[in-house]
Amino acid sequence: MSEARAPAERGGAGGVSLRRLLRRPEAPALVFLVVLVAAFTLANDRFLQVGNLESILASVAVLGVIALAVNQVILCGEIDISTGSMLGLCAVAAGAVATSAGGLLLPLLAGVAMGALAGAVNGFLVTVGRIPSIIVTLGMLYALRGVILLVTGGTWITGIPNETRVLGIGKVFGLGYPVIVLLLLFVVMELVSRHSTWGRNVFAVGGNRRAARFAGLPIDRVRFLAFVLVGVFVGIASVIYMGRAGSVQTNTGAGLELQVVAAVVIGGTSISGGRGSPLAALTGAVLIGVILNGLVLLGVPGIWQDAVLGGLILLAITTDVLRRRLVGDKA
Amino acid sequence: MSAATAVLRRLRFSREVVLLGVLIALVVVMTLLDPLFLSPTTLLNTSRFFVEVGLMALGMTLIIITGGIDLSVGSNLGLVSVAVGFSYAAGLPLPLAILFGLVVGVAAGFFNSVFITFLDLHPLVVTLGTFALFQGLAYGLSNADAVSDFPAWFAYFGQAYLGPVPGQLILFVVAVAVVWVILSRTSFGRYVYAIGNNEEAARFSGVPIRRVKIALYSGTGLLVAMAAVIYTSRVYTARADTGLGLELGVISAVVLGGASIYGGSGTIGGTVLGVLIIATLQNGLILAGVPSTWQLFILGVLLLVAVFLNEFFRKSEE
Amino acid sequence: MTQPDETRAGGAATTEAATVFRLEDVTKRFGGVVAVEGVSFELRPGEVHALVGENGAGKSTLMKIVDGLYAPDEGTLWVGGEVVSFSSPRDAEAAGIAMIPQELDLFPELSVAENLFVGRKRPRTRWGGLDRDAMQEEARKRLDALGVSLDATSTVKRLSVANQQIVAIARALVGEARAVIMDEPTSSLTEREVRQLFGIIEDLTAGDVGVVYISHRLDEIFEISDRITVLRDGHHIKTAPASELDPEELVRLMVGRPLNELFTRSESSPGELALEVRGLTRGGEFEDVDLTLRRGEILGLAGLVGAGRTELAQSIFGIRPPDSGEILVDGEGARIRSPRAAMERGIFYVPEERRSQGLILPFSIKNNITLSILDRISRFGFVPRSERQTADRFAKELSIRGAKMSDPAGRLSGGNQQKVVVAKSLAREPNILLLDEPTRGIDVGAKSEIYRLMDDLAKEGKAILLISSELDEVLSMADRILVMREGRISGEFGREEATQENVMTAATGGRNPSNAEDPREEGSVDE
Repeated sequence: MSEARAPAERGGAGGVSLRRLLRRPEAPALVFLVVLVAAFTLANDRFLQVGNLESILASVAVLGVIALAVNQVILCGEIDISTGSMLGLCAVAAGAVATSAGGLLLPLLAGVAMGALAGAVNGFLVTVGRIPSIIVTLGMLYALRGVILLVTGGTWITGIPNETRVLGIGKVFGLGYPVIVLLLLFVVMELVSRHSTWGRNVFAVGGNRRAARFAGLPIDRVRFLAFVLVGVFVGIASVIYMGRAGSVQTNTGAGLELQVVAAVVIGGTSISGGRGSPLAALTGAVLIGVILNGLVLLGVPGIWQDAVLGGLILLAITTDVLRRRLVGDKA
Repeated sequence: MSAATAVLRRLRFSREVVLLGVLIALVVVMTLLDPLFLSPTTLLNTSRFFVEVGLMALGMTLIIITGGIDLSVGSNLGLVSVAVGFSYAAGLPLPLAILFGLVVGVAAGFFNSVFITFLDLHPLVVTLGTFALFQGLAYGLSNADAVSDFPAWFAYFGQAYLGPVPGQLILFVVAVAVVWVILSRTSFGRYVYAIGNNEEAARFSGVPIRRVKIALYSGTGLLVAMAAVIYTSRVYTARADTGLGLELGVISAVVLGGASIYGGSGTIGGTVLGVLIIATLQNGLILAGVPSTWQLFILGVLLLVAVFLNEFFRKSEE
Repeated sequence: MTQPDETRAGGAATTEAATVFRLEDVTKRFGGVVAVEGVSFELRPGEVHALVGENGAGKSTLMKIVDGLYAPDEGTLWVGGEVVSFSSPRDAEAAGIAMIPQELDLFPELSVAENLFVGRKRPRTRWGGLDRDAMQEEARKRLDALGVSLDATSTVKRLSVANQQIVAIARALVGEARAVIMDEPTSSLTEREVRQLFGIIEDLTAGDVGVVYISHRLDEIFEISDRITVLRDGHHIKTAPASELDPEELVRLMVGRPLNELFTRSESSPGELALEVRGLTRGGEFEDVDLTLRRGEILGLAGLVGAGRTELAQSIFGIRPPDSGEILVDGEGARIRSPRAAMERGIFYVPEERRSQGLILPFSIKNNITLSILDRISRFGFVPRSERQTADRFAKELSIRGAKMSDPAGRLSGGNQQKVVVAKSLAREPNILLLDEPTRGIDVGAKSEIYRLMDDLAKEGKAILLISSELDEVLSMADRILVMREGRISGEFGREEATQENVMTAATGGRNPSNAEDPREEGSVDE
């Protein structure tokens, strides 16, 4: 046998050094979040109260839930900008069932089923139709909005029974259900992302599609499931939304898709796929919530929101590119 | 080669011929639904609507040929509209305000190109970000308000006639001619196709890729600005949400016209036909009393169908 | 061409079951070009079988057939005694054949352990999820078995190339491979890492795994392999135990015919200095390169694949600017940061990859030829009607036959395609022409036309840099020959003194001490 072998990896086997933590894709966003929270707390020490934090989380619950799922789509190398209209449509479905049948389970099922259907259409068009996902979801964004108008005839859905609104306004041990659902789904996604075959395959398909094909991964199935997952999560989010808003309007969800993509990208998931995590999506959503909250505190009028959002997206992708150039990443 | 393509080939039906056929068929259907559709005044009036989308589609065609995309054109339109209206309201003489608007449009397009060329970022994400940024700036700067008290002559841009022909239609025809000449007869146009087909080989051939892309996005910004001025004049109001949703129609028109979303092919003639078809469809539906709620839906479905057919026929040709 | 020396696989007759895989009389064509013809190759368990040949000899095509990427047009593939027909690399993997390409098909964002298991049955926990700990354990075991201690949790993109390669090998083993095909495995490794790799190969063969070793590095081949197969121009030339061959004979078999002048080069009279390069360096590609090129001269640049010749030429052309050093054109310092800048200085580069870099395949021949001169012939930006005549003129010089000027370049034969690329470069009328493998994959007739053209251009006073891996081409055409090895100039020969042997020796760093460079000594560094 031969002698000289590879020198041991620096840092020790399985070591969780600070350096490694900082290399994680969510690191910059998390650090920024901590800094921002610290800054706001300094400005107003009531910022750090549980009640305030909880209300911030509740306000981004809908955004965060959807971002967790869109994160998976972006990770496998695609994109989905139809989620705003999807939310409206799921809310309509859930709302219709709620006003006629009441309860929580049935409207939830209705919302989820509608979402899964829409997601499946997206997935089908991307995989079997071989249409780029940007085009598919752009078309669906408007097509679904049209469906909403068609179905509702322009009228709002009001009078959502209180039992249905539980997920939006109910509390348990002082913690709102939106926050609970958000954190629960976050944990679920972390588990799925780390421990399920599909979850790991998503990274492979997005990271090196050529190699994934040669390794025999079911690329189409992986992507299809990602789009359906978005639909399911949007369905759940629609019930939360309905609970909080108490009604469903024809323009429900308009503009949300942009915030969702912003959350995912700002949180650290790379737009080119293969790199990121559910934590990135959650961090991004919370960060957006904190920033928008902060803008209000600073007295910036709400109409500047979109500009800030757009600016943040550009900032996030620019720093990602600059970071890669400085570090000399080959990935 | 599928049977359908074989038949088309044998009959020498180019894509443009097929589109023309669809357009004619549409006009016939619309006329049957409402006989007034085919009168010259109606036709010319409907042409007003499509000029704005058409101008933007000209620029978008070249961008898509190079394999890029620009999702921010609608927001840019709103931004220019606000720039014109609100600078005028702030005291700037209207001609200068209009000029200012044009500059803003070009600057916005240039802004896009900086991220795309110098940072090598994908046009999709960049224009997604500027889609939000420009719209947000438009809302913020206008305070979600509107400006409507323009002098009477401002209506000239959007509502005038040169003889029986609407003013902006003539402008559109000129623009189409100019862009068509650029794309098919100049070295710039050749560069556009080269970049779209094989950017690497274009680089090795000394094509000034960066300069071309900057010109494309900035030029599209100029076309967007022109469309903004015309639209603002036509509805006589400057508002931030003017362009909301327009990017869908623009991209649909280009793709319907035969451009591959992956880049490398597309023609001005095809795009114009695409614009005409969409405008005819929309306007015909309005005239026939079909509820406007159908329109968005149809447009979205149309885009999907167009892209699918595009790639389907392209694959079978290979 | 002399008759190839066709020795069947040496040694006693082997039964089918005793081979890992066997290719029998395999032929593969691409369009009109024959990549391999009537080639037989066999891999036995526990042997290291080297596959050598010049560029274009058919080595990678042959192995891609074994790996399931291509199906042979003729011939059969036997694995473990049975005829098989693969439709994808997945089938090959299932049959126990693993390929480790130069680009290492790994997933950079995933951990080492995950890379080993992607696409395979992974260990599961009670809950049905993936058992990451078990995966990491298994990974550690595999790596230990290779005698390597790598952190199984580290992200692959952070590893050095050598360690990534080890991960690729470990992945092959997890797939229970019986054959591992390595394509140029040592091109990015230091001396020490090569030692380590050889140790691993020895372990593999001790486990009865067969290894196909594709490489240009003759010293390594003689050290590690049991048998050697030589391919040339798509044909099998010879297979023999390594002990029965020596480097000189191997070179002769690879290069083939005794040195017949393919072309009689005119007497050259070099003029002033057209191009000078001083101390040009680009990290990881080439280092401290000095070069002079005179008008009327053809300078040959020889060396093995990966020696840095293409990178050097592309750097001079502005595709990838150098980190340090100077480029002087006609005696003046030039800052060349883009191909346009290079073209403005009178330099033009004909790329190695004609389909992806040299041509726009959907464009017509005419449009391809004029693409680089549009700025010159346009009036106020418009492309003139005379473009047609201009293109015709250059097409005629190259005698492009059997195709109309309006035909898309994608439909042409390899030879015609190369002619279009060369015509494009001529249209630019450069003073300095950098030709990168200009005659690769084209027939003899087209080759001699290009040689004549090069000769004429030199007589007109152009300065030509000829990068070529075909020794006899370099030896007959070049007035002077520079040899590159591992990014540095390793030898310089005048026309008279150059021989196949001394050029190859300088290129491979072989047994000749006076020309050999010191192998690099850095250790394996991970980020």
